[in-house]
Amino acid sequence: MYQWDMSSSRDSQEISPAEQTQEPAHYIDINGLRKTFSNGTVVAVDDFNLDIEEDEFVVFLGPSGCGKTTTLRCISGLELPDEGEVILNGRDVTFDKPKDRDLAFVFQNITLFPHMTVRENIRFGLDMKTDLSKDEKKRKVEETAELLDIAETLDRQPTALSGGQQQRVSIGRAMVMEPTAFLLDEPFANLDANLRDRMQTEIKRLQRELGKSMIFVTHDQEEAMTLGDKIVIMEDGEIQQVGTPYEIYNQPKNLFIAKFIGSPSTNIFEGTAKINGEEIYIETDDFEVRLPNVRASEFAASNGDMVFLGIRPEYMHVVPKSEGIFNAEIDVKELHGEHDAIYFTVGETPFTVTEPQGQVQDTERVKGVDFDTDKIWLFNEREERIH
Amino acid sequence: MSTASRRAQLSVSDILYKLLFYSTLGMFLLMVLVPLILVISASFRPLVEIYATDVYLIPKEPTIQPWIDGYEDLKPNLLNSLYIATGTVTIALVVAIPGAYAYARTSFPWKKPLFYIIILSLLFPHVLLVIPITDLWYDFGLYNTLPGVWLGHQTFVVPFAIWIMRDFFQKMPSNLEEAAQIYGCTQWSAFVRVVLPLAKPAIIAVLFLAFLNGWNDFLFANMVTDSRGPQPAVVQLYQTINGGSGEATDWQLLMSESLIIGLPPVTLYLFARRYISEAFAVSAS
Repeated sequence: MYQWDMSSSRDSQEISPAEQTQEPAHYIDINGLRKTFSNGTVVAVDDFNLDIEEDEFVVFLGPSGCGKTTTLRCISGLELPDEGEVILNGRDVTFDKPKDRDLAFVFQNITLFPHMTVRENIRFGLDMKTDLSKDEKKRKVEETAELLDIAETLDRQPTALSGGQQQRVSIGRAMVMEPTAFLLDEPFANLDANLRDRMQTEIKRLQRELGKSMIFVTHDQEEAMTLGDKIVIMEDGEIQQVGTPYEIYNQPKNLFIAKFIGSPSTNIFEGTAKINGEEIYIETDDFEVRLPNVRASEFAASNGDMVFLGIRPEYMHVVPKSEGIFNAEIDVKELHGEHDAIYFTVGETPFTVTEPQGQVQDTERVKGVDFDTDKIWLFNEREERIH
Repeated sequence: MSTASRRAQLSVSDILYKLLFYSTLGMFLLMVLVPLILVISASFRPLVEIYATDVYLIPKEPTIQPWIDGYEDLKPNLLNSLYIATGTVTIALVVAIPGAYAYARTSFPWKKPLFYIIILSLLFPHVLLVIPITDLWYDFGLYNTLPGVWLGHQTFVVPFAIWIMRDFFQKMPSNLEEAAQIYGCTQWSAFVRVVLPLAKPAIIAVLFLAFLNGWNDFLFANMVTDSRGPQPAVVQLYQTINGGSGEATDWQLLMSESLIIGLPPVTLYLFARRYISEAFAVSAS
């Protein structure tokens, strides 16, 4: 299995222990960040705390308007926070000008300077910030272009390039500066799906090669899962959960994350907890299931508490009628990659089950539905996960 | 598909529409071209042919004497016109570029009402300003001076320039300046290195309009100057109407002078045309 704990595996390969001890505790430290707009009436980000290691690929994930971009802009200095601090490599840069932070920023819409050639665009930062000789700059620009496979476009105007090439130039303009960290604000959102997949792989490879932290903002959970070593899920300006893609997928902290991550999304049923001796049952309008592997004494809800039962589509199974936990009628069947997603409704509640392609025939509309009961999640009334 | 069968598909309303379209177009063309052609024709005629009774376009004995006389007549005033127009352009750009940028990118108290006041001043009839400004210019010692004419023109040119440039700056994505700031620019150097070069179309459009205004304006220039001061060519043209040999107007001279005065703006327009359409395009490229 792939080793997600990158810090341990990489440290042993590339950074000697002696070097590591000289590094600050964390490469990037963001403490208690708060940013409001319109004289404090709109809170974009609140109480944002995060540590990032030097070689980490961090993804800020959340629906639009959740404050992820604002946070990124505060880190870059394009916005100044109301409260909190941003510490880069041991240096407090909270109120430094963007140019003094040694960070690179790649924007969502392409921000190449249209009046300069690709070469001049990539060289821009070197011209502004360094005293390198002409030859040195030329060498750096050409190396970067080579790495990004845009060498042949160097003397063209940015408008003559395709969307993917333009965004490569943006990345090149960032890379050539050898910044402390890269900030990327939905850089591939405007690219078509195939190209986006390819760019994702490339940016990940690039991050591994450079060994520098990247903070990548996206609203696309699949993109986040593909790229992130560490995913930061945000909603309403607050961090909901920080974890590896595995943790986020398998152990969501609350109902929002459970629903937001995964496609098709997690099925949610409303019900009540029933405690009978040491056994725990969840009762909904349409069915009742027993929770295995948990004892009433360790259970975080009491008898009669309202709970949300969550279960991923892949842990539910379609079985012949009356052989499952309950029966439900098929609404539609869709192809989802190698799976069929089968959409059901039971009572008022819609839910989805995924099964290998072609395994379920929808000639008969009413089917039995079964669960892997050990994969059930429970959320309390405040939508926090309790099981 | 053959053209014949295509034509067969045209409905009556299509034909009517085309008819109306081209006849309107033709009418406007005639309205513009006929006087212009007559002016050109008259400017090459000797005086006897001006009052000829029969109608013809090509002069029977064409002469460039009116052009020579006209040029001699206007020479000092053309130079004044150039000074006036150039000064008007310079002041307008110096005031309007930073002003428009501030309106487009920064926030300050009373920003909106102040901007509407600027736009409102365009609606104000400028004729009404002529008397008070002339009076003030006397007091300030600006009467009969170049700066006096320059400043007088700004009452119209600056609001217009701010309006055009603000729209242009607003349409420019602010991410461009932000990118420049990330890669080593201050706000000021981002403005100089990125915003100004990209604002070229708007700047050229403003330059052209301000030049046109400075070059062609008669009202202000006539009021705040006299023959001892920097009187522009258009004012001299006005003298030509009343001048001549007493009773008769020198039409051939009047026409040649009109054309001489019109040439520099036309030339400038040919250069600026591309940028002007870009500046006024609905979406910024």
